Amino acid sequence: MTPTDVRIGPAPQVFSPGPPRRPRASWHSRANAIVVGWLALTVLAVVAQHRLPEPRWLVIHMFLLGAVTNAIVIWSEHFAVALLRVRAERWDLIRLGALNAAVVTVLYGATGGHPGLAAAAAGGVVAAVAWHVSALIRMARHALPSRFGHVIAWYIAAGVALVTGGTLGGLMVSQRVPWAWHERMHAAHAEVNLLGWVGLTVLGTLFTLWPTILRTRVSDWVGVSARWALRLAVPGLALTTGGLLLAVRWAAVAGLAAYAAAVAVALAPLAETVRRRRPHTPAAWVIAAGIGWFEIAILTDVVIVATHPQGEVAEALAPLLPLVILGFVAQILLGALTHLLPVVLGGGPARLKANVALLERGWTVRLAAANLAVPLLALPLPPLVSLAGWGLVLVALGSFVVLAVAALILTRRPSPALTGVVAGCLLTAVAVAVATSGGPEPRATATVGRQTVEVTLADMRIRPGTIQAAPGTRLVLHVVNRDAQHHDLRLATGEHTPLLGPGESATLQLGPLTRDVEGWCTVAGHRAAGMTMRIVLLGDHSAHAHDTGAAMTHNPADLDLTAPMSPGWKPYDATLRPAPGGTEHHVEIHAKETDLQVAPGVRQRMWTFDGTVPGPVLRGKVGDVFTITFVNDGTMGHGIDFHAGALAPDRPMRTIQPGERLTYRFRANRAGAWLYHCSTMPMLQHIANGMYGAVIIDPPGLPRVDREYVLVQGELYLGQPGSAAQVAKLRDGRPDAWMFNGTAAGYDHAPLTARAGERVRIWVVAAGPGSGTAFHIVGAQFDTAYKEGAYLLHRGGTGGAQVLDLAPAQGGYVETVFPEPGYYPFVDHDVLHGEAGAHGMFQVTE
Amino acid sequence: MTGWSVIRFLHVTSAALWVGGQLTVSLVVLPLARRMLDGEQRGRVLREIGRRFGLFTGAVFLPVQIGTGVLLAWHKGVTWESLAYPGYGRILAAKFLLFTAVMAAAGLHGWANGRGQAEFARAMAVTSLVGSVGIVLLAAALPPT
Repeated sequence: MTPTDVRIGPAPQVFSPGPPRRPRASWHSRANAIVVGWLALTVLAVVAQHRLPEPRWLVIHMFLLGAVTNAIVIWSEHFAVALLRVRAERWDLIRLGALNAAVVTVLYGATGGHPGLAAAAAGGVVAAVAWHVSALIRMARHALPSRFGHVIAWYIAAGVALVTGGTLGGLMVSQRVPWAWHERMHAAHAEVNLLGWVGLTVLGTLFTLWPTILRTRVSDWVGVSARWALRLAVPGLALTTGGLLLAVRWAAVAGLAAYAAAVAVALAPLAETVRRRRPHTPAAWVIAAGIGWFEIAILTDVVIVATHPQGEVAEALAPLLPLVILGFVAQILLGALTHLLPVVLGGGPARLKANVALLERGWTVRLAAANLAVPLLALPLPPLVSLAGWGLVLVALGSFVVLAVAALILTRRPSPALTGVVAGCLLTAVAVAVATSGGPEPRATATVGRQTVEVTLADMRIRPGTIQAAPGTRLVLHVVNRDAQHHDLRLATGEHTPLLGPGESATLQLGPLTRDVEGWCTVAGHRAAGMTMRIVLLGDHSAHAHDTGAAMTHNPADLDLTAPMSPGWKPYDATLRPAPGGTEHHVEIHAKETDLQVAPGVRQRMWTFDGTVPGPVLRGKVGDVFTITFVNDGTMGHGIDFHAGALAPDRPMRTIQPGERLTYRFRANRAGAWLYHCSTMPMLQHIANGMYGAVIIDPPGLPRVDREYVLVQGELYLGQPGSAAQVAKLRDGRPDAWMFNGTAAGYDHAPLTARAGERVRIWVVAAGPGSGTAFHIVGAQFDTAYKEGAYLLHRGGTGGAQVLDLAPAQGGYVETVFPEPGYYPFVDHDVLHGEAGAHGMFQVTE
Repeated sequence: MTGWSVIRFLHVTSAALWVGGQLTVSLVVLPLARRMLDGEQRGRVLREIGRRFGLFTGAVFLPVQIGTGVLLAWHKGVTWESLAYPGYGRILAAKFLLFTAVMAAAGLHGWANGRGQAEFARAMAVTSLVGSVGIVLLAAALPPT
C-alpha cells in the first residue's frame, strides 16, 4: 500500500491524529526523569557494591530492568506515535507507574529473600510490557500507512522477547525451578532479553534515529532491509532461546547465526548513511561505539554458545555481560538521551542550545572512559585493574547523570518547597547512612585472638557451613573456589571476595566478632541453591570448649549430603555372606546407645542393636532355628521383635531394662527378607532412632550369584533422640533425610563394587518407620524380582523390572547384571527420598 | 532525679522549641498569614516572626543546645576518637553533622530573606525543617545515656 491508497472501512477513532492531550514536552521530561533516576540508582549501586546483598544482580537489573526497560517503553511509544502519526494512548502514565512498581518489587523481593513476591512482581513487569505491546499493536492497526511503519513490528517483536525473558526470570527468582534447569534458563533469559528486548528495540529505532542524529536523509532501502532483517532475527532468536532451554546446542548456535545475519542486514542501510554523512556529533560517536560493541558481542556470543557444553553457557556468558551492558546498551542509551533529552525538554531555542551544550560537556573524556572500561571489565584481569574499570564506568555514567539532572532542573525548575524537602531528605539520608555504618557497637569482650579457617566453595555448598568462634575473635577466612563454576563469598558485615574462578582463592579478614554473621555466594541463584554459611558466636562458657579454634557444627537445615565424610568413618558393610552351615544359629545382640555418623559430617546419638544401624544381618534357610540372646546395655528399656518368626509375642517381645538379658528363640518357617526392630513403646521413636535390622531367609533353590548386598532403608530424624523437637518431627512425619544402612548418601562416598557382566543380587528391606521404598538402579534393569515371599519376575524371560516397591516393613531382592563399567546410582525412586539421602552408587569395573 | 536529668531536660526542651517552633510557623502561622493578611501586613508579620525566631536561635537555642550537648557527651565518656566508632559514637557524630548542616541552611534562609531572594529562602527554610526532623530521628536512635 502506498501513501496515496484509499482505505475503505470505519474511520479510526481512538488513535486519530489530533491535538495532544497534554504537553508532550512536560510528559517527556517527567518520563525521562524516571530513566535518569534509575541511572542514578545504578551509579549508587556501583558505588555501594560491597554493601549490597547481591551486587552484580542488582547493578545489572537496576540498569537493564530499571533504566533501559523504562527508556524502551517510553521511547518506543514515542516513536510509534511519531512515525504512525497517531495519538498517544491514555494509559501510558499508569502503565509506566505499574511497570516501575513491579520493577521495584522484583528488586526488593529477589534481594530481600522474598522469592514469591519477586516472582509475582516479575509477572507484573511481563504484564506491563504485554500491555505496552498490545497498545503498539492497536496503534499500528488504526494508523494510516506510514513510510516507517515497519519499525513498529520491531518494537512488538522486542516486547514479545521481554515477555518470554521476563517469564523465565520470574521462574528463576521464584526459586521453584529444579536446579538442573536453572543454568539453561539463565542462559535463555540473558539471550532473549539482551538480544530481543534490547537488541531488537535498538535496531528498530536506529533505522530512523541514526540518520536523524547524522542530520541526513534516511537510506532508500531501509524498509526492505528492516523487513528482511526482522524475518531473520525473530526465528533466530526463537531458535536460540528454545535451543538453550532444551539443551540442543546446534539449534542455539544456528539461531544466533541467523540473528547475527539479521544484524548485518539491518546495519547495512545505516552503514550506507555513514558513507554519505560521517558522524560529527557526540551522540553519533557514542552510538557508533555502541553498535561496534554490539557486533563484537554477537560474534563472541556465537563462539561461546558453540564451544561450551549446555549447562555451562550461562556461566561462560558472564564475561560477555560488561561488553553488552556497558559497551552496547549503556552507550546506545547515553547516545540516544544526549540527542533526545534537549529536544523533549524544550524550553525554547536558547534553553535547547544550552541543554545541548550541557549534555555534550566533556563527551570525549566520557566516551574514552566508557570504551576503555569495557575491556577492563570483560577480560580476566587482576582485581585492581577491574577496580579501575569500575572507576571509569562511574566517570562515564555518573557524569552523564549529573549533567542530565542539571538539564532537567534548569528546564523545569521545581518549587522551592520541593527543593527544600529533597535537600532536607538527602541531608538526613546521608546522616543516617553515617550513623548506621560499621554495624553495631562492639561489645567489650576480651580479644580471643586470630583464627584462620579454610573455606571451600564447591558443589553449590560453602564448607564449613557453620563456623563457631568466641566473641572478639578476629577470623581470617581463606576462601578457595574448588568448583568448575565461578563463585564468591559475601558476608553480611560487608566483607567479600571478588568473583573467584576455578581454583582461585582470596582471604577475608574480619574485625572482632560481636554477633552472628551470615555469608553467601552472590552469583544469581546460588544462594537459593544452598550456598550459604553462618559464623556463630559462642557463649563464653562454650568458648572454652572450642578453644582449639573455629569448629564445624551441624544444623538440620544445613544438611549437606555432598560434603565429605568425617575422617575415620567406615561404611556399614553391605556385603551379604552366604548363610552359615547348620540349622541352628546362636546370636547375641546388645542394645546400645552409640554416636554414629548418619550423614556426611553429621554425628548423632543413635539407639542401636550391636552398635550399628541397621543391626547385624542374620541369614539362614527355611526351617532354621535362631536363638537370640538379647542384652540391654543401654540406659532405657528395649525389646526386640523378629518378623521372621511366628510365635506368641507376650514373653519374647517384652521390654527388658538396662542390664537385663532375654532369650528369644524362633524358627524361620518361611523365606523372605524380614525386618526386626525394637518393640518397646513408643516404637516410633525406637525404630526412628535406629533400632532395626534384617533377617534373610533364603528361598529354597536360591541360585548362587557373583555378589550379594543388603540395603536396609530408614529415615533420619536429626536431633537429640527423644527430644521434643525430634518427636515433633517424628509425629509430623518430617524426616531430615533418608538412609541406606544408617547413613544418608553414605554409599555415594563409599560406592558398592561390582564387575561388568557379574550377576549382583541386592536384598532390600524397608525399615521406615513411616515410608517404604521404590528401589531402583539408574542404568540397570532387574531380570529377577522377589518380594515378600514370592517371585514377581524370574530370570530367563524377556520381561524386566525397574523398581522393587516395598511398603514399610516389607522386604525382597532384585538381581541385575551391569552391562559395562561405570558408576550406577541406586536410589529410592520416590525422588524426594532419593535426593534427601536414599542414594548410593555402584562402581562397576572391567 | 540528678543534675544530669536537668541538663538532659534543657537539651530536649530547647530542641523541642526549635523544631516545634519551625513546624508551628510552617504549618500553622504561614498558611493563616497568607489567608488573613494583605501583602504589606503579611510581610511585616513574617519578618518579625523570623527576626524573633532568629533571636531565640542565637540567644537561647544554640548556646543551650551546644552547651548541654557537650556536657552530656562528656558525661557519657565520648571522646573525639570514639566519634568514629560504630554505634553510639557514629550516631552522635552524624547528629552533630546534620545539626551543623541545618544551622547552615537556617543561616542561608535568613541571608536570602535579607537579600530578597524569596524562593531560595523558602527552599532553605524547608531544608532546615526537614533536617531538624532528621536530627530528632537520630536522637531517638541514640542508646539511652
